Amino acid sequence: MSGRPRRPSRWERLSNDQRALAALFLLPALVVLASVVVYPFLSALWISFEAKQAGTPGRFVGLQNYAELMGDPVFHQIVANTAVYTGVAVAVKFTLGLLAALVLAQPRPLNAVYRTVLFVPWAIPTVIAALTWRWVYDEFSGLLNNILIALGLTKNVVAWLAEPQLAMWCVVAVAVWTGTPFYTMSFLAGLQAIPRELYEAARLDGASAFQEFRYVTLPGMHAIFVVTVMLSTVFTSTSLVIVNILTNGAPAERTDILPNFSFNLAIATGRLGIASAANVVFFPVLVLVIVALSGRLLAARAT
Amino acid sequence: MTADAAVRRGARSPTTVSAAAGAPRGASQAARRRLAALAGYAVLLVLTVWTIGPLYWMVTTSLKTNKELYGADTTLWPRHPTLANYEVLFRKTPFAIYFRNSVLIALVTTGLTVVASALAAHALVRFRFPGRRLLARVLVYTYLVPQSLLFIPLFSILVNASLSNTRTGLVLAYLGFTVPFCTWLLMGYFLSVPVELEEAGLVDGCSRVGVLFRIVMPVTLPALAVTAFFSFTLSWNEYLYASVFVSDVNAKTIPTGIPSFIIEDVFFWGPMMASTVVSALPPLAVYFVFQRWLVTGLTLGAVKG
Repeated sequence: MSGRPRRPSRWERLSNDQRALAALFLLPALVVLASVVVYPFLSALWISFEAKQAGTPGRFVGLQNYAELMGDPVFHQIVANTAVYTGVAVAVKFTLGLLAALVLAQPRPLNAVYRTVLFVPWAIPTVIAALTWRWVYDEFSGLLNNILIALGLTKNVVAWLAEPQLAMWCVVAVAVWTGTPFYTMSFLAGLQAIPRELYEAARLDGASAFQEFRYVTLPGMHAIFVVTVMLSTVFTSTSLVIVNILTNGAPAERTDILPNFSFNLAIATGRLGIASAANVVFFPVLVLVIVALSGRLLAARAT
Repeated sequence: MTADAAVRRGARSPTTVSAAAGAPRGASQAARRRLAALAGYAVLLVLTVWTIGPLYWMVTTSLKTNKELYGADTTLWPRHPTLANYEVLFRKTPFAIYFRNSVLIALVTTGLTVVASALAAHALVRFRFPGRRLLARVLVYTYLVPQSLLFIPLFSILVNASLSNTRTGLVLAYLGFTVPFCTWLLMGYFLSVPVELEEAGLVDGCSRVGVLFRIVMPVTLPALAVTAFFSFTLSWNEYLYASVFVSDVNAKTIPTGIPSFIIEDVFFWGPMMASTVVSALPPLAVYFVFQRWLVTGLTLGAVKG
């Protein structure tokens, strides 16, 4: 009995076969990614070099689509709009999110209630938020004009979304409204992760509130700042919902951004080749984001 | 690491400052704290008004009569609250169909996402195989590919597979966003589960799948809550794919169904806002139920990042 060689345990047998197991475990995710992300992505890159009308086979035209876009002043306007929209929205979301997180981190009665309220826009679907805001901005029946009139601040109604000078800022405001809770939440999480002792040490040393913020809070939050801004930049610049519902780019492309522009190119004119090419312009930005992100995030995850 | 070092460096520097600033600070510190608390309340007040304003307009609009809604007679609150808009919404529009489709799609997407990402995340953190790190990277990359690029080829793929105008097609398309993010999120948590716990399970005769579902997942519930919440709201929310891939009323979801009310009838804001109230309720309910785990879940996830 005792002379028989020990049978490998279940653990040993299974761990010897990790490759097969890994393949099995990864199969569903890989099938999904290959079919609805990777293949369409490569296919879209290819289409961007084609003259392709919806429903017809494409014809290879090299860089012609890109050349047409580069020579189109409307496209330049769209790129500039996208940069302004994203830049301002991210900056304001960052500021408000940090402010909210700092305040919510203070001890105060009913803090949980305030936190819940401030996080609510996060749970409101973006389409719903955009529709609601469109109604808030309504010229005659909207909340904004009616409040201004009730407070006696104006007699003439403002056409918030039709005024060329105002429209973009009104659209950005909606992006801020829906996007700030993501920042608040990340920053609050980051603040809670800074060791208490650091603040106690700073206080013992007689640091002022500002010095605490400058020398303890900010350095401790650095990683979270980077990650949040990177992710948010990608999501803000690539999402068309807010623009599409509020203005669809009007007045005169003043509020149009790249994703909405290419969406309309594809849907309204059926020119799939140039619509794809318009999107590929995102790539330099995305690559930068990926490089910045992957160093930081993947170092923690994939080791 | 670097942030940590910076904190330590930063924490030391006030020492030199305080030496110069000198002694008296007991009373002024109390005053300072009171001022900070007061400023805090001011910030909260502004942010709360800003957050609640549009929601107030949405809810009150849905309760108003048409007379109170439009033009010079617009009121800031409903003088004669009525549920008539909700009645119109459910009786005279296909909203109930949109709602049903959204619920089905969101639930199925969420279920599939949690299973597929848990399996993938477990493999990526616990199995040794070639290409593991590369795969983890690709996950993050796929998450960053803009939807406005993917929808063009994806549409013809779905048409070829006879999946355009179907809920199945939308679920498949949504998995392309939910699975990478959730896998990536879960990897962080699964790493934090002690390997000894999993080995003990295997020794006790648990299968690999059993270890994942009976040992790892129960101890990472906050992370699963975040993934479930994320998948649910994303599918509930999705607009671009839904508007391109689906034109049939019977497969339409809320985000593409409701905006079509505007085109159909200009004076439709009452029922429209009623529909936004009803549509905001499920994700809000999910949010309130999961809130506790969401914050811990995101806290851990964010800190790991």
